[in-house]
Parts: sequence; C-alpha cells; structure tokens
Amino acid sequence: MANAMEIYQLLPKTNCKKCGKSTCMAFATALLSGELRLDDCPEILEDKYKQNYEKLSELVAPIENASETGMIIHEGKCTGCGNCVVACPVNVAEDPKGTGIGLAPKNDRVILKVVNGVVQKGNIHNCRRFGENKILCNACIETCPTKAIEFV
Amino acid sequence: MDFGKFLETPEYDIKIITYRDIFQSEALENSLFGDEYKDLSAIIKLDSKDMEKMGIKSGNIVYLKNKYGDVVVKAVESDSENPHRGYAYMPNSPWSNSLVSDETGNTGVPNYKLIDASISDAKGEDIADIEKLEVVNV
Amino acid sequence: MEDEDKYNVCTACSILCDDIEIETENNSITGVYTACRKGVSRIQTCNEPMPCTLDGKDTDVDTAISETANILKKSENPLIFGLGNSTEGAQKKAIELAKQLNANLDDTSSFCQGPVVEAILNGEINYTCTLDDVRNNADVIVYWGADPANSHPRHLSKYTYFPRGKYRQKGYDEDRTAIAIDVRESSTAEICGNNSYLIPPQKDEELIDALIDALSGKVPKVSFEMNKKRILELANILKKAKYGVIFAGLGLVYSLDNFEPIKRLMDKLNEVSNFYFNPMIGHYNMRGFNQNLFNETGYINRVKFKDSEVKHGYEYSVVELLKNKSVDSALIIGSDPMCSLPGSIARNLNKIPIITIDPCETLTSRKSRINIPSALSGVECGGSAIRMDGVRVNFEPMIETSKISDEEILRRVMEEL
Ligand code: SF4
Ligand code: SF4
Ligand code: SF4
Repeated sequence: MANAMEIYQLLPKTNCKKCGKSTCMAFATALLSGELRLDDCPEILEDKYKQNYEKLSELVAPIENASETGMIIHEGKCTGCGNCVVACPVNVAEDPKGTGIGLAPKNDRVILKVVNGVVQKGNIHNCRRFGENKILCNACIETCPTKAIEFV
Repeated sequence: MDFGKFLETPEYDIKIITYRDIFQSEALENSLFGDEYKDLSAIIKLDSKDMEKMGIKSGNIVYLKNKYGDVVVKAVESDSENPHRGYAYMPNSPWSNSLVSDETGNTGVPNYKLIDASISDAKGEDIADIEKLEVVNV
Repeated sequence: MEDEDKYNVCTACSILCDDIEIETENNSITGVYTACRKGVSRIQTCNEPMPCTLDGKDTDVDTAISETANILKKSENPLIFGLGNSTEGAQKKAIELAKQLNANLDDTSSFCQGPVVEAILNGEINYTCTLDDVRNNADVIVYWGADPANSHPRHLSKYTYFPRGKYRQKGYDEDRTAIAIDVRESSTAEICGNNSYLIPPQKDEELIDALIDALSGKVPKVSFEMNKKRILELANILKKAKYGVIFAGLGLVYSLDNFEPIKRLMDKLNEVSNFYFNPMIGHYNMRGFNQNLFNETGYINRVKFKDSEVKHGYEYSVVELLKNKSVDSALIIGSDPMCSLPGSIARNLNKIPIITIDPCETLTSRKSRINIPSALSGVECGGSAIRMDGVRVNFEPMIETSKISDEEILRRVMEEL
C-alpha cells in the first residue's frame, strides 16, 4: 500500500489549497484515508502532470475502490467462512437472530454478509471505525483466516 | 517414463505432511481435470533453509519418490512463520496419494498424513496431468 | 418460522448448512447467499457433467442400468463403495443391493473418521453433543488435528467460536476460547492465536498422556520440544472449562493406532471438568452411511454379506480388498477412489470392471466400463442426511433436472437383477 510521502512526491507540491486542504501533504493524507479523491486536485489534472497523474491513479486505485470508510475486501482471498460477519459487533446488534447467532442475515442493516462465497459490504456507514464516536474495531480483521479484510 | 536420469541429481530425505486447502477444494468442485486443480495440488511446500540446502528454488520442478510410487510436482517456499526443517507440506490429492503406502498394519487405514519420501531436482520435467498419473495408467 | 421455507441446505460438507438462499433464472442458479466458497462451488455444479457411457461409448441410461445388472450378476465377489455423497434413501438401497448380491460394502469412513464414528455409535464414547449444544454452551473449543477454516469453513462462525448462544451472550472474545492443536500452523491455528499448540507429527498420544498427567496434578513430560508451562497452561484451560468440546480431525485420527488414548483423555477430562467429543466428518452424509449400516448390521462399514450372514473386519475394507485383489467388480457411487485412495492401492481398480454412478466425471469414471450420470443431491434432488453431529437434516432440490437420483438408479439396478 502507498504511503503519504510517496503520494506527496508525485503531487504538484504548490500548496495551492484549491482542494480545500492547506498543504499538498495534507491532501496526500486525505487521499489515503479516502476522504478526498485524486480528481479533487485541479492542478494535477493539468497536462504537464499527466505522467504523475497516471502513476498516482495507480497508487490510489485500491483506496478509491474501497468504500468511503476505507474497507478493502480482497475477494480472491476470502473463503466466505463468515467469521467476520458473525464477529462484527454491529451485525450482532442489528441482527441478533440472524448473523448474531451464526445464521443468514435477517435484515439489510448488517455491514457484512456473504454472497456467492465471498464477503460483501452492506450497510458500511454503521461501521464502528467511522462516524463521530469512532473506535478502532478489529473484529472483522482478527477473525479472518486469510487476512482478506483490510482498512486503509 | 525414464526416471533413471534423476539419479544423477542429489536426493534428500523429506517427511511430507498433507493438508487440505479450501481453494484447492473449490477447484476440485469446479473441475477435477482443470489446470487450476492441478496447479493447486501438484505442489510441495518446503522450508526455505531446506531449499537452500537442496539447491532448489521456488518454482523448480522436483521429483518425489519412495517405495510406493513417484511423482513430479512443483516446489514452493513455505509461507509458514515457524521453521519446519525436514518436513514439507503437500495438499491432499492424487499427486500426494501417489506416494502413500499400501501397508496398513492390518488396520485398513493407510497413513495419508505423514509420508516419507526422497526429493530431488527434476530439472524441468513436466508435472503429470491427472490422467497421466501412474495410478490410472498401469 | 415464517421464512424457513426459503432456505436451502448446502451438501458440500457435513455441517449441512441449512440457511442458504439461492436465486434462480430459467432453472439455473444465479446467486447463492450465506454459503461459503466451498459450498458455492458445489451448488454451482461441476464443469464436467458425467456422460452416460458403456465401454467408452455413449449409451442411454436404460442400457447402462441393464449392463450394470449383468456385470454384478456375473461377479462372484463385487464391491460396492462410496455413498458419502448420497442421500440416506440411496444408502439404504445400496445396503439392500449389497445383501442381494452377497457383496462387500464399504465407504470412505473406512480410511478416515470410521474409528471415531464407530466408537460413538457403539456407545464406547458417550460424551457427544450436537453443534447446537456447542453454540449455546461451549466455552472451550479444541480443534485437534483439524483445520475447519479449510475443510469446514463455517464451523467456527455458525456453531462453535463466533456465534452468540443461549449461555454465551457476550461474544467470542469474552465468552469462548478456541484452541488448535496441530502439526502445522493451519489457518484455524492462526485464528486461535496464542492458543495454538504445535506438536511434531505422530506425537499426539504423548501430548494426550502429558495432559492427563497435568490434569492429575503430576508434572507433564514429553519427548519433544514443548515448554512444560505451555502444557500446564493448556491443561488449565481445559480444567476450567464449563462446557468444553474437542473436535477431532483426521490429523488426530491418523496419528493414533487405536481409540484408547482419546478415551483416556475424555474420561480424565470429565473427571475434572465437563467435556464433549465430536469428529470432523468430511462428506456430507458419511455419518448417515455409517448410521444406516449400523442399524442394519451392527457395523458402520467394512462388511461382506454372505447369504444371511454379515462378515466384518479390516479384511473387508476397501483398501485391503483392492490390495489383495479379492474383488472382481466394483460399483462406485458418488466417490472417486482412484483419486482418494493411495495410488499403490487404487491402481488395482484398473484390473476389474468398474461401474460409476456420479453427477460429475471423476478419475475413476474415466476408467470405468459403465458410467451413469446421477442428480446432484442437495441441488438436483432432495432427501435426508445425517450431519456430523448425528442430527438428521432434510433437504429439497434447488433446481429441476432430467437426471435420476442415486436411489432411483440403484432401485432400477435391483429390478433388473
Ligand atoms: S471494523 Fe468492526 S464494525 Fe466495522 S465492519 Fe469490521 S467488525 Fe464491523
Ligand atoms: S472472515 Fe475473512 S475469509 Fe471469512 S468471510 Fe470474512 S473476509 Fe472472508
Ligand atoms: S460450511 Fe460446509 S455446508 Fe456450510 S456452506 Fe460451507 S461447504 Fe456448505
């Protein structure tokens, strides 16, 4: 995974603030966390940065494909075991008679569910890692046998 | 097949522990005869120190042999965090079964889990397709 | 329950998950919900469906069935093998057929979990419980020589470690401890973290005895490198368990010569705490076969029918029968012995006429005189099966098919005889 420095090196480094951040470094961090997207930087879209833009696009692609909460699911690694689904505290709270006791989800409020043998993001806005009272929840990461879930 | 030529390359003793892999099981459900099942089955995972000693690199084709049979598979470096020198891992498959003993000590249960064999570099020999394995061609 | 009807059963392993939803379009399955990767690959059926053939040429099912009857009729000592992937209905038919033919009858339990299932059905070991009991009660879960993350993917999430249960409301991190004992760092061991115990191959019995010593207040000793503290620590977790369960995988079964050490351990554990024991059975209805044959003969596998007599012993195991070349034909149902037996034994199958009944082509079918395609149970035909813990599960087909079931094929073979 790319780090902020790597991204910063490829940015215009003009600290123009057009993206709403005070420095390009701050923009790099915002890119990493998924808060802003590469196209939010008007300068990098200019022709002279074409090469850098392409490189950056590659770097941030996995992040931009991640949900806005930064969760990435490596589908190729996921076995569909459902450990994360059942361990997720939000799933348990929202669906105590379904995923909470290891069964199929009984409603759409769950964050994680298994579809066609791999885990899928559902109501991701409920994830405890985000929002005002966010906490560093690890339940879906530490229960996974194949490290198929990652947050960026 | 003439395996005589492998005698020239050094042989090492190895104990093989077999295991199951869900991705391999999935490939089997899709197609027993497909490349994916072969690629996920005809492999042996070795400790990196053992590989150094044997002069075998990840991706090399190796020849495994014992009293009960022989088979050609691909060597890969083990992803295990703990070293396991002297032991190698192979997923259960007709390739690993080529080496399983027919002796059961009057129990009717062969020892599938732990196989003694010798390993040597097969110098680019081809891994047999499932239908070319000796078991179906005797 | 109101929406129970919408659920299907997955037959890809013996957990028989009964909460699977599917979507179909024009009688083909387009979406599968809640099943694991392994289950989905089974439900979506194979790429190489079995053709109906006789001596390598296409034929119709009627001809294949009457030729099957011909071969079996002429055979002096036939073998019927497989049935772990068949419904109970088919299993019962196969037992009848074996009786009628004076045949040998065996299944894959013969070279995997057989000894454990036998001990359970014989009542030699009566510390068993259901998976639902585990979900509701278990606080200590031990996987010994088992790697469910690869073999039974939903075992931990549906029943043992992760789900909330009646008396386990607080979640896995507070309420339950999962332990892995194995010869390699499996994916399951990784989930167990610090509670993963690595031992050298074939040392399971030694560890059992060391644990028994530790549980009896003696100093545990093992010949291999394993910290005494670690053994005491493990013994301590087992001792404190309010409701412990040991799930025995093939790793444990293969490393023991007999069942005695497990009995010793279970007896000791139940002296000092409360422990149950369950086998990790692979094929979805292997336990069903064992149970049905047991009901009929008092044996779970490895039988030979001789007029009204039933013989039983290792010499009637598929391995010994083929090794000694004592059978002169083989009827294989839903199994691929060419793949699953040691090559040194399976090669002898090449010397006798084989009939294979299976939904998909197998290595064995490619060497068979006759191949009869059957409906894939759980997907194309319904029936019942016995889950790994002994609970009967009924299931309906997910889609329609023109193929006939194993049970129907066997019925028609018997009719022809
Ligand atoms: S981080 Fe926690 S709340 Fe968010 S999806 Fe994972 S388990 Fe659920
Ligand atoms: S725990 Fe990991 S492997 Fe299992 S369903 Fe979740 S992401 Fe997939
Ligand atoms: S755990 Fe077994 S029964 Fe359940 S969905 Fe997976 S393969 Fe099917």
